[in-house]
Amino acid sequence: MVFLKINNLKVYYPIRGGFFRRVVDHVKAVDDISFELKQGETYGLVGESGCGKTTTGRSIIGLTKSTAGEIIFEDKDLTKLSRKDYHNYRRDIQMIFQDPYSSLNPRKRVLDIVAEPLRNFEKLTIAEERQKVQFYIEKVGLSPEDVYKYPHEFSGGQRQRIGIARALTLNPKLIIADEPVSALDVSVQAQVLNFMQDIQKEFNLTYLFISHDLGIIQHMCDRIGIMYRGQFVEEGAAEDIYTNPQHIYTKRLISAIPDINPKNRDKQVEFRKKVNEEYKNSYDKYFNAEGKVYKLKQISNTHSVALP
Amino acid sequence: MKAEIVQTNNNFNIKKSKSSGAFSVMWREILKDKLALASLFILGLLLITVYGATLFINQDKLVTVDLLSIYSPPSADHLLGTDYGGRDILGQLLIGAKNSFTIGFFITLIAGIIGLTVGITAGYFGGKVDNFMMRIVDFVMILPSLMLIIVFVTIAPKYNVYTFIFIMSIFLWTGKARLIRSKTLAERELDYVNASKTLGTPDWKIIIREVLPNLSSIIIVNLTLNLAGNIGIESGLTYLGFGLPETTPSLGTLVSYATNPDILQNKWWIWLPASFLILVMMLCINFIGQALRRAADARQRLG
Ligand SMILES: Nc1ncnc2c1ncn2[C@@H]1O[C@H](COP(=O)(O)OP(=O)(O)O)[C@@H](O)[C@H]1O
Ligand SMILES: [Mg+2]
Repeated sequence: MVFLKINNLKVYYPIRGGFFRRVVDHVKAVDDISFELKQGETYGLVGESGCGKTTTGRSIIGLTKSTAGEIIFEDKDLTKLSRKDYHNYRRDIQMIFQDPYSSLNPRKRVLDIVAEPLRNFEKLTIAEERQKVQFYIEKVGLSPEDVYKYPHEFSGGQRQRIGIARALTLNPKLIIADEPVSALDVSVQAQVLNFMQDIQKEFNLTYLFISHDLGIIQHMCDRIGIMYRGQFVEEGAAEDIYTNPQHIYTKRLISAIPDINPKNRDKQVEFRKKVNEEYKNSYDKYFNAEGKVYKLKQISNTHSVALP
Repeated sequence: MKAEIVQTNNNFNIKKSKSSGAFSVMWREILKDKLALASLFILGLLLITVYGATLFINQDKLVTVDLLSIYSPPSADHLLGTDYGGRDILGQLLIGAKNSFTIGFFITLIAGIIGLTVGITAGYFGGKVDNFMMRIVDFVMILPSLMLIIVFVTIAPKYNVYTFIFIMSIFLWTGKARLIRSKTLAERELDYVNASKTLGTPDWKIIIREVLPNLSSIIIVNLTLNLAGNIGIESGLTYLGFGLPETTPSLGTLVSYATNPDILQNKWWIWLPASFLILVMMLCINFIGQALRRAADARQRLG
């Protein structure tokens, strides 16, 4: 059984203009991508801002309608399900949002925020519900009394943990984490990431981890897909990508990861120079006449690159 | 020992600051603003007096003509004198204030409910729903409402407080619908709405339980400021002669006596108290509204 398979997904946003707000053009936010997630792994989706990562995640969870393509989750194509059937898959796929400030309703107590999915799917008594909420709130490292507080009484990292607790209550199989730490202080980032890895084992979760930061992806992911303008330029096991990058765009992203070890600094500057030179000299080799990348080609069992 | 007391005080403050709901923030803002607090006090007193006193006034007796005391100036019998039919001005003033306020209140309420429902639905669903609803709003907005109201007043067979509220509400909800729609459009882009969707919450529940509470301060402020205007509308229309009939006294009917130059110059007791009352009510409501408006915007708050 395939866990999650994306086939030729396209998401085009219409651009309206002129008289009667006619559709004059499209933003091809996601333009024909395919990839697969195995249960239990963490798949990283990387790319610069605006390349379509969020749109990919949102269309998998159904927040954005896909223009074409298939999203196959446990052998069912989610794009073809009716609203009612889709409701049953809600429990299995959950999302952690990028901005911990806007993703929690400021007017609701933590108890009501975390209990929202339970109230939609399960009939619990008030006491049972509170117990369950407190269980998950403790799991994410907050204290049981915190359920009576409002979101503004917490720090960004704590809020993100509340968001995670809310996503966990329905026992999902897949969690889409859209830049879950990019709004947090660097000091808190590692904490939240490690914590996400801990609960992954405990709850047997599969992550689709979205980030623009290859450094964080390196820390988290088993396999990685690199996106550029709505398309994949390279895909492979984490090792393939970091030790044997093939596409110039991947190389540029890797050369931009800051290295804290001062001994390697010279080496990195050297590497960066080399990559930049290659980018200038052999641009045509990697991008076609429209500035788009080529189709993915498999170069090993685990590794594919977009080369002509 | 001292530290402990400070500690408990802090705890108390933390507990108190929890109540960051729209209503407690607004209440705090009004307490901080002396003008608004005084306005609230005066308005409250006024309304209690008006609604209380009218319970004891016999309206039929009040509107019957008494030829023996036409245009009598204020005296012990008639504290604020009488009009051309010998009818007691004070009684008319009390009943008029009650009618005017009730009319203003219900116009605001009904127009508010229609505008809110249309605006929040259009804003939340967007797309075709939004397009359709906003075209209706545009249509109602371009209708010459004043003319239609006047025509309606002239041809309506039974013209009283209820029909007046009805006809006014039909035209006054559109501005609110637009305001609420634009706020909802901004609100639905926030991730807490997306989160609710991914958690399986149905749309109607997201609208009522998630979006609406976040709009509550804007709605309350808007309704309050509208209330002042709507009380004025009734008086204005009546003054022009298209308001309520004389058998239903309102502040507008009293003020409209002043169209007669003789009354305007020599018989101040007929129109001055009513004008003054309108002024006081509108000012009070406006001052309260200003404070509420500040409360809704965290950057302008006093407290
Ligand atoms: N609702 C929308 N309407 C129109 N264009 C959009 C919308 N959302 C995103 N886009 C466009 O789609 C592209 C991809 O956006 P996004 O998926 O948010 O990128 P990322 O998450 O990788 O930064 C961007 O060019 C963005 O401007
Ligand atoms: Mg994004």
